[in-house]
Amino acid sequence: MKILKTLFATEAKLSLRGMDMLIFAIIIPIIVTIIIGLIYRGAPAYPGASFTFIEQSFGAIAAISICAGGVMGLPLIIADYRQKKILKRFKVTPISPIVIIFTQLLIYFAYSIVSLLLTYAVITKMFSGSFSGSILGFMLSYMLVLVAMFSIGVMVGGIASDSKTAGIISSLLYFPMLIFSGATLPYEIMPQSMQRVVNVLPLTQGIKLLKASSLGTGVDNVIESLISLVLLSLLCYTIAIKYFRWE
Amino acid sequence: MNSIIEVTNLSKSYGVLEVIKNVSFKVYEGETVGLLGENGAGKTTTVECILGTERFDSGKVKILGLDPSKNRKELFERVGVQFQESGYQSNIKVEELCQQARSLYKKSADYAKLLEKFGLLEKRKTYVEKLSGGQVQRLFIVLALISNPEVLFLDELTTGLDILAREDVWSYLESIKTKTTILMTSHYLDEIKQLCDRILVLDKGKIAFNGTVLDCIKASPYETFEDAYLWYIKKGRVK
Repeated sequence: MKILKTLFATEAKLSLRGMDMLIFAIIIPIIVTIIIGLIYRGAPAYPGASFTFIEQSFGAIAAISICAGGVMGLPLIIADYRQKKILKRFKVTPISPIVIIFTQLLIYFAYSIVSLLLTYAVITKMFSGSFSGSILGFMLSYMLVLVAMFSIGVMVGGIASDSKTAGIISSLLYFPMLIFSGATLPYEIMPQSMQRVVNVLPLTQGIKLLKASSLGTGVDNVIESLISLVLLSLLCYTIAIKYFRWE
Repeated sequence: MNSIIEVTNLSKSYGVLEVIKNVSFKVYEGETVGLLGENGAGKTTTVECILGTERFDSGKVKILGLDPSKNRKELFERVGVQFQESGYQSNIKVEELCQQARSLYKKSADYAKLLEKFGLLEKRKTYVEKLSGGQVQRLFIVLALISNPEVLFLDELTTGLDILAREDVWSYLESIKTKTTILMTSHYLDEIKQLCDRILVLDKGKIAFNGTVLDCIKASPYETFEDAYLWYIKKGRVK
């Protein structure tokens, strides 16, 4: 436990010095919240809806930092630590290199939680939104989305041949999901044909789950999303465990 | 004497290329043994197979009576390693790297003292990226020593260091030599002469010589270690 604490403290400091996660996982979600809030003010999500547009967007914006950490941060850092032979150095200490990767998972988890709380604060304080769903349901959905998106990161970081390849794959996954999964550009304003296409993105499914649980609109409509995320996680972690390259 | 490192019939190939062929040797308690050989002779691969960072095809390895792949956690509390190539995290400072390394062990040395011995104490708040190549090399020796190891593996110990820094490293190693068992690889014959109680000459993955520097000279038709060493290497080529 003490080892994990020291590793977390050092690695978190290094991550903050790097600045990129501060921007992608903390600042961008706040900016998106403020923009959507300013555009829609207190308007209902659709005529006759019991919740406002910004309340509906909470689940989507909460996914931005999960996506940044899982699909961008994690694969890059895992590939980087392998290429720099940091993982190898851990192999000749009493501590397994798995611990340093686990530390990174905790760091990106922390970024996500901080972003979630900040987003919630902005929505409630600036745009008088409120949370009408089930807190437990939301927490479970949130953890599932996090586990699923992080599984992509561990897999990409674990099997990419070098940092450059990991960077390319990350960008190919991150930017389409950031823009088209509904995390920034609201899913509801997309034409139906586009919605059908973006439904293939795992984060689109994750956001559906987060929205349903945060708005309390019931799980029945999102069973498919739930199953697809569970399957995705199983698939990615299995591939990662099987084909992970330590060197 | 207790054997601390035991390598028995170690073999390793990359595809059809045999890098290590049936290598066996022991390193005894308190001994400093130098692994010599040309580039590509298999020095680093041998060290990495012993440490378990490389898999080998056949043979047996024991360090302190433990299997490096099975008793990792227990063994590496007591073993220090300096790799030929190693890296560090971006944006990390010298002291942070030391603190992180220290945290991995149950008991550890005072890293400030080690940094001082290797002329790095005033650099402890410096980003590792800003250090010179020689300073980074010395920092990695500090990291290898941070657990107060009983056994030390040093791969290309002083490559990239200037003469003065090399002498500092040598004199430190001489001060811990009797209580530490050391297996080191090197290209520098003067370094080997200065530090090693015994040498192993590796030629194309086989041990061509195992004995003291003096034995090495005596067994050859030459008077100096440099000539004798070259004679062993060239002898292998003629065959």
